[in-house]
Amino acid sequence: MTPTIFEQVQRIASDLFGVPGDQITRESSTESIEAWDSTQHLNFVLALEEKFNIQFSPEEMDQMRNIGSTVKLVERKLQNSPR
Amino acid sequence: MPIVIQPYRAEHEAAVKEFNLRLKAGGADPDLVFFRSAQPRWLPPMEGSDLYQEFFVALDDGVVRGGYALKQQNFSFADGSMRRVAYYHHPLSEGIVNKAYAVVGSLLLKHAMNRSPLLYCLGMNGYDRPLPKMLVRLGWAHCLVPFYFSIVQPYRFLREMQALRGSSGRRLLMDFAALSGTGWAATRTLRAWRRFRAPGIKPFTVEKVDEFSAWVDPLWQETRSAYAMTAVRDSATLRTLYAASDQHFTRLRIRRNGSDIGWAVVGERRKDEKYGAMRVGSIVDCWASPEDALPVLRAAADALEQSGYDLIVSNQSHHQWGRALEQCGFLQADSNFIFAASKGLAALLQPFDKNQSLLHFTRADGDGLPRNF
Repeated sequence: MTPTIFEQVQRIASDLFGVPGDQITRESSTESIEAWDSTQHLNFVLALEEKFNIQFSPEEMDQMRNIGSTVKLVERKLQNSPR
Repeated sequence: MPIVIQPYRAEHEAAVKEFNLRLKAGGADPDLVFFRSAQPRWLPPMEGSDLYQEFFVALDDGVVRGGYALKQQNFSFADGSMRRVAYYHHPLSEGIVNKAYAVVGSLLLKHAMNRSPLLYCLGMNGYDRPLPKMLVRLGWAHCLVPFYFSIVQPYRFLREMQALRGSSGRRLLMDFAALSGTGWAATRTLRAWRRFRAPGIKPFTVEKVDEFSAWVDPLWQETRSAYAMTAVRDSATLRTLYAASDQHFTRLRIRRNGSDIGWAVVGERRKDEKYGAMRVGSIVDCWASPEDALPVLRAAADALEQSGYDLIVSNQSHHQWGRALEQCGFLQADSNFIFAASKGLAALLQPFDKNQSLLHFTRADGDGLPRNF
């Protein structure tokens, strides 16, 4: 079964922040994950860009304060990207 | 409201002034000041120009929380290709004094990466600073650009080199070496020995020129592919970087049997407390095929010695230029001058471990111009 966008984002976050996947929820954020600092935030954004072949602006990057908002942004980007 | 990064315009200057004041009030290094003027004084964008700077600011509902600069320039690669590469410099974030804005630094870099996928940083004052730490964690390729120095006046060096006089014991030792003459004897002997062991240099001539002109171009075209990566150093670029009106620089043209083999730009380094009262000269920039590095650097060093400098310094990334400096009697010291390449740029420099010593980067490619002169 194809993993959902959330599951793919969850996997990337888990690998990057060193947190077990089942502990990454939509509410997980820069406040709740210690390793999620500004540099790792950029690494997270770059990993998402590579995974989904999309590009985020700094403004969008600044909105990605938790996994839930990140997933929504990725979904919106994928919906709007040219086929 | 998310932070928005925009080109720095005149309407932002007042907000930048406030930003600089907040940094100062927060205890930041007084040298950390963002550009007061939105229009770059050095290398402003001009119609048709390939070499220019751009400034950007991070705005938080009209309040400046950070900024950065890009120098856009063409670079040549070993395969003969030319590509536009940007030098990311002077990033400043309010996060350095207020953790609420810790994210600004990464937003600035992301903006630059979106704007210019081929990006490098140069200088940065060592791996313990925030920017190089971030770049290492982002997986950028990086290496130190070696630093070399030549002691012209041993007495002055031993008495004034503050970086080496950090303890009372060291000061005593250096003062003894200075006053007894042993320091003079040791440095002169070492330099003479190195020059003696250097390969013989075929005769060459050196001429001071007021500006670079067309003679630079054939030399540039013939030699550029010898380097894994180098900023374009044709006559048009050199006239922009080292304009004839700029009296800070001495421009040298080096020839052998009537043919141009290289050039060098030398000048006085800005005063720095680590050098005490010494006059420090710098080999700012230079060019030749790697095989001709020795005569070019000898010419540059001699010009600086004749101008009365106490100490001469240079950063050179290419291993043959570094060896040539040692053959001129220079010594190598710890460097805090880092070259870092974005992933996109690093992909063009693979294998990086091998190619890092084939890059041609000098002080002029980083923070050397124009701040340090």
